[in-house]
Amino acid sequence: MDTDKNIELHIPSVMGYEKIAMECAASMAKKMGFTEDRIEDLKTAVAEACLNAIEHGNKMDTSTKVGITLTVGESQLQVSVKDEGKGIDQILTPSIENKIEGKDQPRGWGIFLIKRLMNEVTFQTSPEGGNVTKMVIYLEK
Amino acid sequence: MNKEIQVSISNRDDVSILNIKGDVTAISGETIEEAYQKVSTAGAKKILLYFDKDGYINSGGIAILIGIASESRKKEQKIRITGLSSHFQKIFDMVGLTKYTAIFQTEELALKDF
Repeated sequence: MDTDKNIELHIPSVMGYEKIAMECAASMAKKMGFTEDRIEDLKTAVAEACLNAIEHGNKMDTSTKVGITLTVGESQLQVSVKDEGKGIDQILTPSIENKIEGKDQPRGWGIFLIKRLMNEVTFQTSPEGGNVTKMVIYLEK
Repeated sequence: MNKEIQVSISNRDDVSILNIKGDVTAISGETIEEAYQKVSTAGAKKILLYFDKDGYINSGGIAILIGIASESRKKEQKIRITGLSSHFQKIFDMVGLTKYTAIFQTEELALKDF
């Protein structure tokens, strides 16, 4: 793995800034030769991971930051999204039926989409505190 | 940071068309919700959501659309969708929105389906 090509950025915990991370990851994926379809998948996954970090991890506290690391591999791109939160809530699979019928809140699709769009996903609590979402997308040649 | 969203309302026969330009998020989605309430109050039973192919849609925006789909069932309204990029057509299918509404490649095809 060529660490010289890795990228780190930090965004404020403010809705809308997830698009900065999303576009950065998309630029890297384009440079690596990912197809347009997979770049769109990556954009949605990165945006959703950042939104979770901003909203649920950092509770929209503007004194906190979300850290994003892009790790470039020969045949894959790993994106880590780290917040300063204290653990993530239980991850439930959303049900469109329950949401349409008003039994559940209509929100809660972020993790579902990340899992569906990326090749590998892990959710961890960092030893120094904060939640880390690690996503890997494979470069198909 | 959110790009302004613009939602304009037009009519084709008995179909109310919500032309949605910009990003669909939890924040901007309120503008879509307001436009939906406006046409609902006016008695619309057929509503076409016409999205911007270059727009960004996130899970917060999807939640707003689920809310509209839910309310439209209670009000016995038909909702149809057009203008989405192929990526967001796939996303809408993944979350299951296509069980409650239909997506069309063109405005004309959507209008014909009402």
